[in-house]
Amino acid sequence: MDKETLSELHRIFQEVQSKSDWKSALDALFISMRGSFVFDNVAVYLSDRQTPGLDVVYARAIGRGKTAEADAAWGESVANDVISNEHMVIHGPDKGSNRNDRMSQTYVLGIPLYVGEKLRGALLFVRFGGPEYSDIHIHVASLQAIWAAALIERKELQEARAELDSVQRQMRLQDDFVSTISHELRTPLGFIKGYSTSLLRQDTQWDEATQREFLSIIDEETDRLAKLIEDMLESARLQSKTIQFKFSPIRLDALVRDVAARVRTHHPNLVIEMKMDVLPPVLGDGVRLSQVLENLFSNAIKYAPGSKLIISGKHLANKVRLTFSDEGEGIPEEFIPFLFERFYRVPGERTVTGTGLGLYICKQIVMAHHGNIWVESVLDRGTTFLIELPADPTL
Amino acid sequence: MAKRILIVDDEPRYLRLLEANLRTEGYEVVTAQDGMQALDVFSSNPIDLVLMDVMMPRLDGFGATQRLREFTNVPIVILTARGEEQDRVRGLDLGADDYLIKPFSATELLARVRAVLRRAHSPADAGQVRFFTHDDLKIDFARAEVWRGEEPVSLSATEYRLLLQFAHNVGKILTSEDLLTSVWGVEYKNDKEILWVSIARLRQKLEKDAHTPRHIVTRSGLGYLMPPNET
Repeated sequence: MDKETLSELHRIFQEVQSKSDWKSALDALFISMRGSFVFDNVAVYLSDRQTPGLDVVYARAIGRGKTAEADAAWGESVANDVISNEHMVIHGPDKGSNRNDRMSQTYVLGIPLYVGEKLRGALLFVRFGGPEYSDIHIHVASLQAIWAAALIERKELQEARAELDSVQRQMRLQDDFVSTISHELRTPLGFIKGYSTSLLRQDTQWDEATQREFLSIIDEETDRLAKLIEDMLESARLQSKTIQFKFSPIRLDALVRDVAARVRTHHPNLVIEMKMDVLPPVLGDGVRLSQVLENLFSNAIKYAPGSKLIISGKHLANKVRLTFSDEGEGIPEEFIPFLFERFYRVPGERTVTGTGLGLYICKQIVMAHHGNIWVESVLDRGTTFLIELPADPTL
Repeated sequence: MAKRILIVDDEPRYLRLLEANLRTEGYEVVTAQDGMQALDVFSSNPIDLVLMDVMMPRLDGFGATQRLREFTNVPIVILTARGEEQDRVRGLDLGADDYLIKPFSATELLARVRAVLRRAHSPADAGQVRFFTHDDLKIDFARAEVWRGEEPVSLSATEYRLLLQFAHNVGKILTSEDLLTSVWGVEYKNDKEILWVSIARLRQKLEKDAHTPRHIVTRSGLGYLMPPNET
């Protein structure tokens, strides 16, 4: 490149890069290169990733189009051609148009815009009355297309980052234990307050069936509130690690059988199939581990009612693996990463009461035992919870 | 005539609570379980008040309020479980008339409903028209759908917002600045070209002949308008 071209390029680069917002940068790009590439109208069409179709995100009338307003040509049909066929398009004036009316002699050049490697839109130039686009013009326009795409990508990344920051801030607020607790507690409280004040109204009479209905709801919600408070305290204790675990060698197979027997007294119709290997003892807190098992039983009964439960225990290397399977509806894949999070409840499961803390507590307990707990699920086939605990190293 | 109240909540227990109490006061009640359903139900019969929860799947209370305000002045009371100020402020800013914080007592609920109904300016039917027609153009505000004759017209979000400006101001000339600010935002106040392109595209989609438009007409030097229906 010769010195003249280089210094010209230098000027253009600086001009464009000095602009902090993308629209002014595009303005600078097209205007500063207009000496090498003249045009009347320019427009950037971009496809929105969410909705089908093109939107115009940028448009300028610099030359002769300035007064033509909304009826001027902006190259929309060419833009559609560029995107559908993924190629550059040059379109001269229509055969039937009036040669003497400059504004109807439109010469359109459309260049594909690749934002981040994907064909996302088209850059369109319109000249009224010519001249036709020479090879050099096309070359310059293509360079501008590359740069324009980069500016757009930069804009989208900035917007995405701003959105992410805002979401992060929201999540930090939501993660605030205190605000989540108050939200969770207000729900049953809302029912208790609402239904009791309904019954207390002096300006109306409720029939007996309705009175019983309201009172039952109050009763149920009180229970729910009690359980919620209990679970919250438990999870807070686990979180702050103030729980004293009492470790001793535990025979897991015996523990599972005990818990299963207890559960069966409340649910005599429950079918439990056990396939236990001979398992080495693990170092654990029997009470806490029972809690984990009880929670898994309770979940299976709630979310896979009537299903058979299959519990197996295997001795693997220096670990013990318990699997806990039901043949229920299963859990959709998109919800699985969140199951063990505090207060998480699978959307749509509104008819089943739960605190959203059960699995969180299970995980805390299992991790305090230096173990691991996770879930696998297939829709309409069933769900399996897996727990691994290290075998007692001292034995 | 009994006032009709639309209650929207995804918790069946709240629907039951609200409905039972409202009926004792002689109100007629219709229910919906999320924002989208609420918009559908809204147009089946005239509604005097909407009682709407904020946290709902598909379309939450804020989204539904925003959509409703695009075409109706019906009183809206939002129910928020969190007493956080930002929820209340956001709801009011989006167009809700009042709010109720859960837990609330039944008597508080009824008093609030009475107060908002008292304040309501227009009777149920006014300002609540779901459908808009202009010659062969038809807009369903609740669904945000547009038809030209029998054919559905696919508009981008921006084009729809632009069209709404005209639909809500029939017979009134709107300046470029007004349109750019309302549809794109104040930073676009002077970007007239984007308005030109968008109006050109809208005309392509809506007019029989884009060069002699009948829905969106240019008034040289002044702005654009949707001329009154010729009836």
